[in-house]
Amino acid sequence: MDVFNNFLTGTITLFSDPLGILIFFGGVIGGMLFGAIPGVSMLTLAAILLPFTAHLSAEHGIMLFSVIYCTGVYGGAITAILFNIPGAPENAPTAFDGYPMTQKGQAGKAVGAAVMCSAIGGTVSCIIMMIATAPIADWAISAFGPPEIFALVFFGLAVASSVGAKTFWKGWLSILIGLMVAVVGLDPVGGIERYDFEMPYLLAGIHFIPTILGFFAVSEIFVQAEKKVTGSYVAPKIGVEFPTLKELLAHKFAVIRSIIIGFFCGVLPGIGATLAAFMGYNEAVRWSKKPETFGKGNIEGVISSETANNAATGAAMIPLLALGLPGGALTAMMVGVFQMHDMEPGPLVFINSADLVWVVFAAMFFANISIIFVGYLETKTIINLLRIPFQFLAPMILLLATVGAYAVRGLTIDIVVMFLAGVIGFFLRRSGYSVAGIVLGLILGKIGEQTFAQAMQMLHFEWSGFFDRPIALGLILAGFVTLAGSIYGAFFKTNKPTATDPAV
Amino acid sequence: MGNLRTGHLVEGAIWLSLCLFLYAYSFEFDKNIEIYKFGATAWPRSIILLIAIAALGQLFQHWKYGDIGSSNAMQAANVDDAEEAAHEAHHESLGWYLSTFALLVIPFAYMRVPDWIAAWLGAGGSTLHILRVVCAVILVGLFLTQVKRNMMGAMLTLPLFFAALLEDMGFYSLAPIFIVGVMFLFGETRPKPMLAIMALIYGLLMALFVKILFVGLPVGNIRPFYDFGSWVVTVLQ
Repeated sequence: MDVFNNFLTGTITLFSDPLGILIFFGGVIGGMLFGAIPGVSMLTLAAILLPFTAHLSAEHGIMLFSVIYCTGVYGGAITAILFNIPGAPENAPTAFDGYPMTQKGQAGKAVGAAVMCSAIGGTVSCIIMMIATAPIADWAISAFGPPEIFALVFFGLAVASSVGAKTFWKGWLSILIGLMVAVVGLDPVGGIERYDFEMPYLLAGIHFIPTILGFFAVSEIFVQAEKKVTGSYVAPKIGVEFPTLKELLAHKFAVIRSIIIGFFCGVLPGIGATLAAFMGYNEAVRWSKKPETFGKGNIEGVISSETANNAATGAAMIPLLALGLPGGALTAMMVGVFQMHDMEPGPLVFINSADLVWVVFAAMFFANISIIFVGYLETKTIINLLRIPFQFLAPMILLLATVGAYAVRGLTIDIVVMFLAGVIGFFLRRSGYSVAGIVLGLILGKIGEQTFAQAMQMLHFEWSGFFDRPIALGLILAGFVTLAGSIYGAFFKTNKPTATDPAV
Repeated sequence: MGNLRTGHLVEGAIWLSLCLFLYAYSFEFDKNIEIYKFGATAWPRSIILLIAIAALGQLFQHWKYGDIGSSNAMQAANVDDAEEAAHEAHHESLGWYLSTFALLVIPFAYMRVPDWIAAWLGAGGSTLHILRVVCAVILVGLFLTQVKRNMMGAMLTLPLFFAALLEDMGFYSLAPIFIVGVMFLFGETRPKPMLAIMALIYGLLMALFVKILFVGLPVGNIRPFYDFGSWVVTVLQ
């Protein structure tokens, strides 16, 4: 009953303040728009807005960022589906089936599924967040230390190696490139410069926003350019027909499974929605009776990925608010908002600023609900972008990506890095490598090394320490089993060459 | 040789050379960390070792099965159409790769050559700016001569060249040229739509980012590009 009363109080506080209402709807529309505009993302909007939150109250500032988080994660699905350009890494698996659906003239169905499932995933996650924040935070504090987080990263990478690449080896090489790129900069323990090639820019490491923009947005433009050069470019068909309720209900188990996966991935600090989306997608393929249809426009791929990543948004607030640990880039910016208002996120927030917490919870709940209504209207407009000939859309996307890469740190070298990543991504994609794997390796690599170092120090450099921790052991074993299965598949279950194969 | 082709060997050689280079470079930062006995190199060297194993595994698979992917549904399901596009475009010959690589050198030449010449002449300030403009003009000319021969290579190079020039020439001066360039490389040759779309995109970007969001974009370092960029910002803000 306390939860309901607190939620009611938060709702009344939110909607009785005109400025609060304005910020709420500004965040809803802004998050969706920036998530949906090719080449920029919710992170671009958040980075632009961060300095201005100093002029808002802490309540409004945090609420704005949490609303942008919910709607931005959904917004990124639109570009993933329409242009094969995920707004954020968490939307990458959405593109695997969403984009082929667009090419088949089913963009409306894919976007409709994303709207519904993002809203369902986010709302359910929000409700669980409100009910279970305290017990989950207590459990996570005691159960998840650096060894467990490292083990989870390892498991996540083992799972992700099977996504997006032509072969198991190419999948692993893609992830390993990402891990290697993450090494550039200062080492997390001693602050020693690594692979900086005496360039001051590289000391801070390679920023993930230009890299993501390059690997996804820019490389996609290059692939389309290649099709244009040969005349094989086919404009995507436009379809604004949304999926029926019956179609969505047929995938109810995928939705429930993805909510569970999304929530548990989201609740772990540093992992967040990206792994949730990949795991949601992976499990959808694994449980499917027709796994071969995935990647060719199976709506369940979109449903699983979008439900899981939005289910992670509510859960990601738990480590942030309960432990002060950000789960990703946007929640890290929220820490910045807290600090600008002389506050520290953590358990004390629940005691000292309970009003703030419940206004944020209420705002996230209604932001997820509003995805259905605002998302429906917005999608009907944005889908028409597909009517624009690609030769006119391409410069717009490239320039938006340019602004997005530059806006993060105000460095032109970030734009060079982005376009270079685009060129590298283009060559890797045509060789069967996975750009999604590279990006995941880049993001999880930093967390992986840091938690590995912390774990080893904590375990006094005894490897056997991992075996004394059941969760870490379980995750590591699960990772090795996944790996062993993939290696077996690579060596013993490979398709035999046929006479008709051009490569033979 | 099994099912190995030259391309597989080149791919394997690239990976193993990369491993060798990264491993050799790791000695540059092979320093002890008092509280961490693995030091700064253990993590990157482990990744390098795994890259080498994966590259050898890939070579073995190519040797045994050629170019065929595994039967793992996840892998088979998610390959994008970039490979197919490359095959259809016949952009797989050594000549195409060499020509593209030569084009991709142009932006990096702009980023380095003027500084080398300036250092050799002992020049700086306005002389360096003149050197940069002269260098840019020569490299743009070189780029234009290659456009018709290798359209795809030009498409890959143009954004990088644009990014390399941004620091000196600024976003406000270069964006209209870049927009027209991309449209041309995408096959648009009608002047009127190109101009109209250029004006529309430029106007929209300026209105959204400069007028409404106050995002600072590079104005450039060299006159008159710097003056033009500053003028646009002053007028809009």
